[in-house]
Amino acid sequence: MADNDIKTGEEAQANEYSRRQFLIGAGGVGIGALAGGFLVKSFFLPEKVFAVPAAEGYLVVDTKKCAGCASCMLACSLTHNGVGDIALSRIQVQNNVFGGFGAPESIVQEQCRQCPHPYCAEACPTGAMHADASNGYTRTVDQAKCIGCERCIEACPFTPSRVQWNPKKRKAQKCDLCKDTPFMTEEGGVGGQQACVAVCPTHAISFVTDIPVQNDSGYQVNLRDVNGAWALLGMPTQDDGSYAPAASAAAPGAH
Amino acid sequence: MAGGYTGKILRIDLTNKSVSTLDSEKYQEYGGGHGMGSAIFWDLCEDKTISAFDPKNVITIMASPFSGTLVPAASGRTEVQGIGPQAWPTELFTRSNFGGRFCGHMKWAGWDGIVVEGASDEPVWVDIRNGEVEIKSAEGLWGLDAVEVQEEIWRIVQNGVEKEWREVGQGRTTQRPAVLTIGKAGETKSRAAALIHDAGNGAGQGGFGGVFGAKNLKAISVLGTGAVEIADPKALMDARIWSMDYAVAGHYDEYQPLGMGSMFGGAPASGAAGYAPADQPKSPMGCLGCHKNCRARFQSGASNGSSCVDYFFYHVYDQAAHGSYTQHILDATEALQRYGINSYQAEAALIWLNNLHKAGILGPGLEIDTKLDFTKLGTADFAKQFLDMMANGYDVGEALHEGVAYAAEKWGRYEEDTKTGILPIQVHGYVQHYDARTEVEWGYGSLVGDRDINEHDFNTLVFWAPSVANLFGAQPACSADQLAEIMAEKLTPYNDPMMMDYSDEGIYSESMAKLVAWHRHYTRYYKQSLAMCDWAWGDFFNEYGPEGRGMTGEGEPRFFKAVTGIDQSFEEGMEIGRKIWNLDRAIWILQGRHRDAEVFTDYNYELGAVPGYTTYEVPYVVPMHKDGKWSYESAVGRVLDRDKVEDWKTKFYTLEGWDPATGWPKRETLEELGLGHVADELEAAGKLGA
Repeated sequence: MADNDIKTGEEAQANEYSRRQFLIGAGGVGIGALAGGFLVKSFFLPEKVFAVPAAEGYLVVDTKKCAGCASCMLACSLTHNGVGDIALSRIQVQNNVFGGFGAPESIVQEQCRQCPHPYCAEACPTGAMHADASNGYTRTVDQAKCIGCERCIEACPFTPSRVQWNPKKRKAQKCDLCKDTPFMTEEGGVGGQQACVAVCPTHAISFVTDIPVQNDSGYQVNLRDVNGAWALLGMPTQDDGSYAPAASAAAPGAH
Repeated sequence: MAGGYTGKILRIDLTNKSVSTLDSEKYQEYGGGHGMGSAIFWDLCEDKTISAFDPKNVITIMASPFSGTLVPAASGRTEVQGIGPQAWPTELFTRSNFGGRFCGHMKWAGWDGIVVEGASDEPVWVDIRNGEVEIKSAEGLWGLDAVEVQEEIWRIVQNGVEKEWREVGQGRTTQRPAVLTIGKAGETKSRAAALIHDAGNGAGQGGFGGVFGAKNLKAISVLGTGAVEIADPKALMDARIWSMDYAVAGHYDEYQPLGMGSMFGGAPASGAAGYAPADQPKSPMGCLGCHKNCRARFQSGASNGSSCVDYFFYHVYDQAAHGSYTQHILDATEALQRYGINSYQAEAALIWLNNLHKAGILGPGLEIDTKLDFTKLGTADFAKQFLDMMANGYDVGEALHEGVAYAAEKWGRYEEDTKTGILPIQVHGYVQHYDARTEVEWGYGSLVGDRDINEHDFNTLVFWAPSVANLFGAQPACSADQLAEIMAEKLTPYNDPMMMDYSDEGIYSESMAKLVAWHRHYTRYYKQSLAMCDWAWGDFFNEYGPEGRGMTGEGEPRFFKAVTGIDQSFEEGMEIGRKIWNLDRAIWILQGRHRDAEVFTDYNYELGAVPGYTTYEVPYVVPMHKDGKWSYESAVGRVLDRDKVEDWKTKFYTLEGWDPATGWPKRETLEELGLGHVADELEAAGKLGA
């Protein structure tokens, strides 16, 4: 089953590990060491017994497309919780409106990465946070079992924590890839629609089934150079933020 | 209360540095935003003839039931009202609004809006975190520009926890607070000062920045972690998905740039991308919950979030000086935002100064002396120097600090320069935005109201699309026939296709009176009370819609019902708009408005319409009905006939149920709108229509 050596050299060297990850430790496997493109079914941790199957779905966000409108956050809280409340959104966007395009902290999206080793699930004393076999092993909080101890919130190695606190219910919640969306007509979950993907005006969010290439600051994904729309809208498509020369010359809609 | 409302409005008394709460339910019938603001102003501002800088001026900063929800292009706009110092010669009760996310945070914090009264004896700012409200000393903030002060308030409120979840009372957030502030222009009480929020969101017209300055109020910061209750969340999500079909966002896979037609269906970043250096990397940037996101974030960070007129005060000079748009225009607009100056005022001022300079009247050592070096016009440095003068009131700014109308009065040039048109003031001291001689629904709407209307509902379809198409020898996406058809369907309750007739006869007709009336009512309710953004709504012609039909008439009630749970027809909404419009009319009348004051400046009656009164208009081609046929025809060179305008005014007043002798509403009109108490006050002042 452990058919992939996921401790790769290049990616590991390229990344900084947060202090929290080191402290938690994971038998030498850091989150940022994963290479994309592998469909990891599970993996072997020498001194740990906690292991769950990898998730079968991930949300990736192209930072360079994000307009900071927070439609994703509004859609998330609307379809899950039935209200307009970005504090309850399971995807968070932090927007420095004065930051330049392409600068690292100008606009950051913080969505759950469905970690292959989910520290949140490991920390949960009741099994509320678990890999949901009925939903592609999405790491999910079973609300009935959650006792509101917040260990999962604390355990998440990312900042901000990808687990949210619901102050009314006094329970944790997190991205379930829209499995439990009573206020969305379309079926959600790994096989269905994600609210944030559906409403994003710039198509900056995509649902993928393979673990994406990532480092500690996020997934590295270019959703701009896809089907020509972004170039026709006069936007830069290249990874360095520049325009494709042919596209900007030819695009009638470009300035 | 209905869904979408929090039930509470925050009332801030700066004189006594205390806060209290108003009950929103009392004002729910007005929808939100502007309607609530007008009703609150009516109740709380006893003497409506006071000056804008009087501490008794009541400023309302209102959200709508749609704020902080997923309603497209309606979640992020905040409506500001009060007596504004800009209008000339009478400071009128007026409005402005701004985008971004401020109203979302008001709602999440538990507030349907904020009312500001009184004046502090020292500079202060207001720190709102959910239900906790503190009025704090602005020492260390006063003097900062509109960007610096926001960054500083973010630091204060985040208190060292910038990325991680942060507790705010019982709630938590990852977000920076939403701040509404003033730059130097507001601090010096300029009549041309704006309120600024985040990057590029400004409430400029009206001069509310100066009012904040007069109240010694540097900023209001709000951070909310709560929820906006939605009556039918699934219906709202469904409606949002439905509306995507009318937008670029729903057509990415097959996207092709289309001709000008629909605002709702417009491209992202379209308000900014075209005025920047072509090779500067950027992304779209937009307001809370918007499906369109019409501004941009640039690699240089300069002018982030700015749009359209924010650039139009200076873009032509950059282009003329450098051959194309360069970093200069981005830096100039960035400076405008930081000083917090009303860009329409800056635009008209520069047109005027440039004209005076060319006429040998203005320059170093000339009749109007200035240090401005016009050989540098087009550079960011020139712009910054000019803006600094406006904000601080020296050199040409000694007069222009008061805005162009009061400046012209000070220089003794008002009559002459508005006759020759070198100073493009159109009406009530407001500068031309679109031409009253050609796009009359715009000019007339401004004439019978308090300000340049800045309501683009018809503008793309009756002016831009046909005029730009004409420049290329093409036809616009919406034909004149189709335009008349669609408008006849959608302009309830009049449903008169002749409302689209901008011919020389049509512009003085009763049908044109209907168009202007429709426009006043629609904008007062849907656009300014429910806060549906002018850059997307109303949606009449939409290239993506069935047979070119947009959502207006169906979309507004659909979203309203999903959020509030109230089954309100479009006709009912229009009636609420008519009520709000009449309430506003009554306030202006108490301030002295009479039909005799509703006159354009001389150039509109004496000079033919040509581009040049703004930096962006092109020769006017508008829809006309001639010999039983619809077509787009040139209106270039047209002047308004004074007598015919007076006749048109009579038609308009009659249509609205106002006394044509004075332009004052009649009692029966007010009573049928539930405004009997307003009629009483007008009668007591001797100003009720006969």
